[in-house]
Formats: sequence, C-alpha cells, structure tokens
Amino acid sequence: MNIQEYISSGVLEAYALGDLSAVERVEVEKNLIQYVELREELSKIEDMQETLLMSLAVMPPSSVKAKVMQAVQPQGKAVAMDTSLIRWKYAAAASVILALGLGYLAYDYRDKWIHSQVALNELITQSQQVAQDYNRVNLRLDKMENDLKVINDPSFTKVVMKGTPNAPQSLASVYWNDRTREVYLSIQNMRELSQENQYQLWAIIDGKPVDAGVFDGNVTGLVRMKDITSGAVTFAVTIEPRGGKSSPTLQTMQVAGNVSKS
Amino acid sequence: MIIAGLRSRDQSVLDYVYDHYSGALYSVVLRVIREEDIAQEVLQDAFLKIWNKIDSYDPSKGKLFTWMLNVTRNLAIDRTRSKEMSKTKKTDDLALSVNRIDNQEHIELQVEAIGLLENLKQLPEEQRFVIEHLYLKGYTQSELADEFNIPLGTVKTRTRLALKELRTILKIN
Repeated sequence: MNIQEYISSGVLEAYALGDLSAVERVEVEKNLIQYVELREELSKIEDMQETLLMSLAVMPPSSVKAKVMQAVQPQGKAVAMDTSLIRWKYAAAASVILALGLGYLAYDYRDKWIHSQVALNELITQSQQVAQDYNRVNLRLDKMENDLKVINDPSFTKVVMKGTPNAPQSLASVYWNDRTREVYLSIQNMRELSQENQYQLWAIIDGKPVDAGVFDGNVTGLVRMKDITSGAVTFAVTIEPRGGKSSPTLQTMQVAGNVSKS
Repeated sequence: MIIAGLRSRDQSVLDYVYDHYSGALYSVVLRVIREEDIAQEVLQDAFLKIWNKIDSYDPSKGKLFTWMLNVTRNLAIDRTRSKEMSKTKKTDDLALSVNRIDNQEHIELQVEAIGLLENLKQLPEEQRFVIEHLYLKGYTQSELADEFNIPLGTVKTRTRLALKELRTILKIN
C-alpha cells in the first residue's frame, strides 16, 4: 500500500469526522494497527479537529449537566434535579461538618484521655507515697514497741552515762541484758559529729575496754549495739574515726557510767 | 487517566469531561439540529452513551475526543432522520451561524470562534467552503457531496488539504 497516497485521499479526515461507512471504518482501523505513519497522521488530524471544534464551543445550559450527573447516580431517583443537586450539596456540606465534628471529638477525647492518664499517674504516685509512709510509720511503731519492751523488761539493766568534763551536757543510757548479752543504746543528749567521726561504745570487762559498736549522734530511740560478754562494770563512749577503733581514745571520752550493783 | 476514571465509574471524571467537552459537543449537535430543546436532549443522551459505552472505546482506534465526537454526531444525525428534519433547516449563511454563537452569551468562546473565522479566510475558497459546511453548518461529507454535486473523493481531499492548511496557519504541530 502506498501510505502517502492513502493519506492524501483524505480517508483519515473522514474517519476522524465519523463520515465513513462501517466497512470503510474497519478497513482504516486495520491499517492503523499496521502502519505507524497512519497513526501519527491521524493523531495530527484529530488534534486539529479538536482545536477547531473547541474554538467553536457553545456552552449548553447547566440543566443538561444536572440531568446527566443525576442519571449516572447509582441510586438515581426520578426527582427534579435542581432540588436533588441542592440536597447533594447539603449532604456534602453535612459530611464536611460531620467530619470536622468527629475530628474535634477525636481531638477532645484524646485530650481528655491524656489528662485522665496524667491524673491517674498522679493518683498512683500518691497511693505509692501513702503506702511508703504507712510502711515507714509501721516500722517506727514496731521499733517503738520493741524499744518499749526492752525498757520495761526487768532482765535489762539500765546504765545511765553522764557527761564527762569533755561534754558536761551530754547524756546517754545503755540497756544491757547480762544473760542474753544484748546491748541497746539510747541518746538523751549528745552533739552531732562531723562525717569523719563516730561515737564508739565501750564496755569495761575485767578491767579492759571491749568494743560494743559505733553510732551517730542523731539516732533516735534504742539503737541495737554489738553483743558483749557478761561481766561489764562500766560503759563509756568515745569519739573515734568513722568505723571505730580497736582500743578507745580515752582523751575523747564523752559520757560514762557504772553498772549499779543490785 | 480520564479513560480509566470513566471505566471505573468515577463520576468526578465524568464531571470533568462534561465541563471540558460539553461546549464543543453541544455546538456540533446544534449545527446538525437547530432546535435547542432537542439539541439539549441529544447532548444529554450523548453523555449518557459515553458513560455507558466507555468500554467499547478503543484508544488504538483514535483519541477519546474523536470517539465522543462520533458518538454525539451520530446521535444528532440519527435524530434528524427520525424526525425527518429537513436539511433546508441548515442555514447557508455563515453570519447566521456566528450569530447563534453570539446568542449563547459566551464572549470568550465567541472571540475564539471569530478568530477562527478570520483564519478560515486565509484558506483557498474551495477549502474554506468544505470546512464551513462540515464544521460550522453540520453537514456530513456525503450530504455536502450530494447537495453541491461535488464528488465525494474531492470533498475528502479538500477536507484533508483544508485541515492541513489550518494546521499551518494555526501553527499546530
């Protein structure tokens, strides 16, 4: 086939116009598939035709569009299009408002949720605090009950240690059970020491000082000290480097008291 | 994109297609059918056919606009035959067809149309004659051949030469 001759015949323009018979159309379509030159030429013709017709456009009244758009609605009802269009617009507006409303609600709920979450955490912290306080109080109560038991126990001997010339205002006591060898200390008045130093309790047994443990100046209630062997005649407290020493520094003695013979 | 949208029954695509092409297609219908009420019915039917028959459109056989044009034009021509409308209704007066466009209150398009008419004047007389009758007065090539005693082959070659010349004048391609 002579492509140029075919094109020159104007058959493609007639095809684009829709003026060919069915038989002629099929023939052109067959050739279009076979020859790229024909496809290119047809494309140019179509573009020109479109430009031509677009420039001649006459807008139809808007009622035509409304009818077309209503007719393609899936559940299109035979209602006057204008009201249905308005209804559609209201529906669109309503759905926008609904979406905004839902968005606000979602935001609001999230906000509230976060707030409740914060409040809940506060409550949990508070209840933990209360529980800790309760436990602390309970421990103190146990300790006081225990202290009271020691103080009231007749098997404990109370030894009052009075201030030496080093610290005349100081006063402390020892509760000592000669049988069980338990020793408790109670401070009535002793000054606080620096971090480097601690008080050390000594028991004089058979003329020798025996270490009964160290303590700080700010303890309250009875302080359980080291157990000692029986036969103590005197208790005394010295100031020693933190942790204590194996033998007392007698120059620093703060309080001392003799076990009263019963 | 447009074709896929129409095929997936996307009404927003039909909305776009309508806005973009209804003017051109309506003018084609108007040129075949002079009565506006009927022309509007035909245009409506054409868009519904485009919507419902989109699956029968084959892009390898031409552009979407060409297919829509053919669907619309065929409906319009069928309508004139069924109503046995007289071809004398077609006006031979080019000025009158321009007035029709004036009456549509579409100044922008009117300017474009007038610009096109100016360009048509640059065509050789016999080519302009063919374009005016086919595109402005709604004739088919066969009607033109019959009515003015021009061989159909000549109408075709003149159509070809005219469109080619217009392409040059309008600097397309």
